[in-house]
Amino acid sequence: MNDFTEKPYDVIVCGAGHAGTEAALVAARMGATTLLLSGNIDTIGQMSCNPAIGGQAKGHIVREIDALGGEMGVNADVTGIQYRKLNASKGPAVQAPRTQCDKKAYQFRLKHTIELQENLTLFQATVNSLIFKDGKVIGCKTNLDVDFYGQTVVVTTGTFLRGLMHIGKNRNEGGRMGDYSARTLSASFLEAGIELERLKTGTPPRLLGRSIDFSVMEEQKGDEEPCLFGFYDTREKTDLFHVEQSGERRLGWTPGEKQVSCYITYTNEKTEAIVRENLHLSPMYSGRIESAGPRYCPSIEDKFVRFPDKPNHRFFLEPEGRNTNEYYINGCSTSLPLDVQVRMIQSVPGLERAVILRPAYAVEYDFAPPTQLQASLESKKVENLFFAGQINGTSGYEEAAAQGLVAGVNAVLKVRGESPMVIGRHEGYIGVLIDDLVTKGTSEPYRMFTSRAEYRLLFNHGSAELRLAHHARDRNLLEFSRLSRIERKAAAVGEWTERLENERTAGGTFAERARRREAEIPFPAEFLALHAAVREEVLYRVVYRGYLERELKQIERMSQVESMRIPEDMKFLDIRGLRAESVQKLEAIRPRTLGQASRISGVNPADINILMIHIESSRRRRAKMGL
Amino acid sequence: MNSDNDTIAAPSTPYGESAIAVVRASGPLVPGLLKRIFGRTPPPRRATHAEYRDRNGERVDDVVFCYFRKPASYTGEDVVEISTHGNPLIVQKITEDLLERGCRPAGPGDFTRRAWLNGRMDLSQAEAVIDLIRARSDRALAAANHQLRGELGGRIEELTEELLGILAEIEAYIDFPEEDLPPEGRGGPAGSIRKLVTKVDKLAATSHYGAILREGVGTIILGAPNAGKSSLLNRMAGRERAIVSETPGTTRDFLEERMHIGGYCIRLMDTAGLHETEDDIEKLGMEKTLEQADEADLFLVVLDATVPYPALPDALAKRLNAGNTIVIYNKADLLQSEPRKQFLPDCAQVVLSALTGRGMDQLEKLLEGMLENEASGPEADRVAVSARHAQALGAARDALTAGLASLGKGHPPELAASELRGALDALGEIVGRVDNEAMLDKLFSAFCIGK
Ligand SMILES: Nc1nc2c(ncn2[C@@H]2O[C@H](COP(=O)(O)OP(=O)(O)O)[C@@H](O)[C@H]2O)c(=O)[nH]1
Ligand SMILES: [Mg+2]
Repeated sequence: MNDFTEKPYDVIVCGAGHAGTEAALVAARMGATTLLLSGNIDTIGQMSCNPAIGGQAKGHIVREIDALGGEMGVNADVTGIQYRKLNASKGPAVQAPRTQCDKKAYQFRLKHTIELQENLTLFQATVNSLIFKDGKVIGCKTNLDVDFYGQTVVVTTGTFLRGLMHIGKNRNEGGRMGDYSARTLSASFLEAGIELERLKTGTPPRLLGRSIDFSVMEEQKGDEEPCLFGFYDTREKTDLFHVEQSGERRLGWTPGEKQVSCYITYTNEKTEAIVRENLHLSPMYSGRIESAGPRYCPSIEDKFVRFPDKPNHRFFLEPEGRNTNEYYINGCSTSLPLDVQVRMIQSVPGLERAVILRPAYAVEYDFAPPTQLQASLESKKVENLFFAGQINGTSGYEEAAAQGLVAGVNAVLKVRGESPMVIGRHEGYIGVLIDDLVTKGTSEPYRMFTSRAEYRLLFNHGSAELRLAHHARDRNLLEFSRLSRIERKAAAVGEWTERLENERTAGGTFAERARRREAEIPFPAEFLALHAAVREEVLYRVVYRGYLERELKQIERMSQVESMRIPEDMKFLDIRGLRAESVQKLEAIRPRTLGQASRISGVNPADINILMIHIESSRRRRAKMGL
Repeated sequence: MNSDNDTIAAPSTPYGESAIAVVRASGPLVPGLLKRIFGRTPPPRRATHAEYRDRNGERVDDVVFCYFRKPASYTGEDVVEISTHGNPLIVQKITEDLLERGCRPAGPGDFTRRAWLNGRMDLSQAEAVIDLIRARSDRALAAANHQLRGELGGRIEELTEELLGILAEIEAYIDFPEEDLPPEGRGGPAGSIRKLVTKVDKLAATSHYGAILREGVGTIILGAPNAGKSSLLNRMAGRERAIVSETPGTTRDFLEERMHIGGYCIRLMDTAGLHETEDDIEKLGMEKTLEQADEADLFLVVLDATVPYPALPDALAKRLNAGNTIVIYNKADLLQSEPRKQFLPDCAQVVLSALTGRGMDQLEKLLEGMLENEASGPEADRVAVSARHAQALGAARDALTAGLASLGKGHPPELAASELRGALDALGEIVGRVDNEAMLDKLFSAFCIGK
């Protein structure tokens, strides 16, 4: 229902990318009246960069999103055109699903899902500014001269804030080729005292498939058995086959059917020579771009300059969809002028006659350093205002979606006056992601790596549902039927982990034999009859028991400081004994728990001891006074 | 950060050769530790004489220990206090042994914090407890920095860098399986890890006690050539040891003398003179003097009271204060009247003659007072720091070895990575926490990664 009155929505979400769509969907599903605004609703859930979801750490995040009732997992599963499980030769903790998606199908299905969602209003309008009152946000103004009011506002504007794209000397304003730049919104943030800084990222060119000679390239096929993001052992059967509540059929197909291939080719000396001769034309090398780009995504210029000993660099050609002939060239990020791009591309085997459909470009944009946020993703400066996604300095669809989900949940909880959902660093990558952002901030687009998690071995992707079940239950994020299936799954995993540990066979207990990695263990028929998801989790826990127990013990050791809360109104300046440097950092970050405080660089164990005593003595003093 | 479920241990008293030193442990492991170390758990609050035997069954020292059952103890937990002779080596050995047996090194103020949190102290004492933690921490930090300034610090930094490199390589293959990385070498980084283990071993062996912790409070004699520094050392040591000469600048090698002042042990160091010089050997001597001063805790500045006073190099002057410096006006036997005592006026001043021995009593008294402060402070912290460092090196070694074994068995690399991270954390206990960002920096500079 279009409601242009001043009656406030519970939640307004500005921006319908990967963060915004998750935020809006979860808010509406929790029963909040939700408005999703997008400057162009044809670009809902658009993959601005590569046509793939998942991969190392990111695939883990998508499974966690699924465990919390998010949409990204299923949406990618049913619009995938190539499925691969990465790191299959390594242990389960670092294996992860990655899926090439049909970009358009991904978008259409997501848009359709949003359209069908109850409590959710989708509307096309550009947000020009926010409306503040008494230090709180109460709504937003749009380009249509219509204002919307909301009890909470979630900002998910990606790279659109004063986005500036570079191709050689050519510059265009916009957050993505073909789209506009949100120029005035930045001013709104500054007005509210929210600081903005600049980041840079880039995207490679797209080529026309029929101009490519694939026959000289190496083909990479998907796995026959697709590894999926969604937990279909606990989800409704219908979730995978896209017949939803409304009965309307949404776009999508059975995962794994009719997979397509990717292709691999390499640069050579000619490529290098072309790049080197034209370095001065690259905005980054000529100083036209000053903002920091990510270390993990160097441009082709950077690759040749920084790794002169590497004879060649690899390009991955990824199809953008089934109904298009457009190919994404993974490995070829650049901001060289278009004519140089053409020559460089055409120096590569198989690309001699390649036609560029869209050039590569670098984009600079404003982001709001995330140390200005609480762990709930609510702004510390403006009440009821939440931030999620690339505006927080992250990179990647998955990182964005995860934040969107958390911000959406917390916006609803804020409206209801409930405490926010904060996922711990020991519970999953989403916890690590948000804690890193709000505690340490970032100086490059933040991307998740498994090495960022101190309890990585506990974060095998298959256990995401079990790890996060209590959040889903406490906040009602899943349907009751799914929750009870998860509970049964957890019980079965617990029971069988113990049984394999205790039941003996001639060659030792089942667990001992599994740890010796015996090839043929005569497991009880009952065990073999369990769902594969349960069996895999049980065997993981049994085989890696020593390592997992060690991480659990570390978590236990940290739990005292992790659980000790710092009162919201704590005045660090007044605390006797803290060093000036620590006071300054603590005041800037305003950690919620002692654990978070201990991760701030420059805050040392003595400071934590002092904080601990201070908190405890204020508590006792209050208790003594009978407060 | 240690949790309050851990058992913590650390030396906890003033330290000095003749004084009794106490090593304290607090936490749930204590009763079990007593059984294993002394073969019994005596009744609480009774001082018991026993032999301390370390984990390998070797006798460390005769000690007196006292067990306090929870909650009737300082911290409110099970506590043992082990009193030994004040010899720092013994204190350190016992502390290390407790750490090897599963205790964690107590952080600054940890005992007091636990005492306070467990209700063993009044609410009103919170501020006092905070002050104490702050002071302890600052001193411990100073002690740790002091050690890291030396060679040990550099070596550990090197090891850390190497370890980061190895870890970055393993992590690259874990986190970027899709990237165009060079093919994984057979056996992966096993060779480099093995080398690292050897280095850690070597460092642990040399740093054990001696190198990190020199015996006695470092006390250095500074002054212009011919002021009478060597004469003073001889007088204090009671025998001719340093070369006394009338040619200025003769003392070039450092002479060291270990001696007792009151109840304390000091390590008295003679130095070459501080003055402007063109002579290469003397220049070298000067530099060494400054270096030596860096490691000293107490300073005796000797002036020839019969000639104008020299100026001190800035770097040196900055380190001198009332708590660590005594100004000595020497050659009093040649003076007609009291010298003008205006050199470093904040510091203690004494007029004496190294030749006749006049005024030496006064010097010893001043020195003893200073040692009393010093001994209860930095040196005790240094013992604790050394024990922590030794434990950390041992832990790093164990973790590296476990990582190596895991790779050897063909287990997936994330398990070895988990061990190596343990090793990195252990080294981080010495050089300061090593953030994952440092590993990522190494990774992205060594491997070309990106779409
Ligand atoms: N009269 C007198 N001569 C002294 C005294 N102390 C040292 N000397 C003389 O001063 C000269 C230099 O002494 P030395 O200890 O080598 O000085 P250094 O260069 O500072 O080590 C020697 O001839 C000593 O005998 C003192 O207290 N009184
Ligand atoms: Mg001399």
